[in-house]
Amino acid sequence: MLATPNRESDVFTAISHPARRRMLDLLAVADCSVNAIAGQFKMSRPAVSQHLRVLLNSGLVTEQRHGRERRYHFVPEGLGSVREWIAQYERFWDERLQRLQKLLSKKSKE
Amino acid sequence: MSKTIRKELVIPQPREQVWRAITDSATLAEWMFPNDFEPRVGHHFTFRVPAKPEAGFDGLVVGCEVLECEPPSRLVFSWSAGGPVVDTRVSFRLESVSEGTRLYFEHSGFDLSHPWAEQAVQGADYGWAGMLGKLTAMVAGLAGGGK
Repeated sequence: MLATPNRESDVFTAISHPARRRMLDLLAVADCSVNAIAGQFKMSRPAVSQHLRVLLNSGLVTEQRHGRERRYHFVPEGLGSVREWIAQYERFWDERLQRLQKLLSKKSKE
Repeated sequence: MSKTIRKELVIPQPREQVWRAITDSATLAEWMFPNDFEPRVGHHFTFRVPAKPEAGFDGLVVGCEVLECEPPSRLVFSWSAGGPVVDTRVSFRLESVSEGTRLYFEHSGFDLSHPWAEQAVQGADYGWAGMLGKLTAMVAGLAGGGK
């Protein structure tokens, strides 16, 4: 984890914006060109490109050339750090609830 | 992207005893963390998670508010630990069963499509990655050190 702190924070930053989450939703269905994506949004083309840049930097999206156009492809594995984060909380509660059980069994023996 | 942590366990003690363990500040501190909890709705309190320098963890304050309190069966409080964990909900439901008490535990609100995810990232002093590191260190420190 210490090796990739930037990429991890990039993933969280990437999914923090509603427009980028919608882009990921679109790309989860099919690879799209920037024009196809821009067609779904009211914002300017450069703004769409900027959001795509953030997604590319996070590793959640890759870019492939198809003739003259570039298509964007969603990489769901990139969300692993988000799941890992919640898994940490899961372990945290397992550990705390075990403590609760131990404490109660100790108290009832007293 | 939404996720709720759910745990269900049977504790071989009567419900009143379990209720006390989750609502008496001193007892709560024994299995959770030092706190100023009071069992009444609307009460704001904090859990102060102590630092564990050997695990690289520099402590954490979790802000909470009691949202529901129905002795001896239901306790819900909010849980805001910074980063994306803002206004998540921790709930305990206790049910008397022949073996003792069944505890239904839930920690919900990890919904990354909610607006707070954005706010949390933009406004937080530390990013999600920092929080992940903190939490990992905390769990590691706790598991290793016990009480």
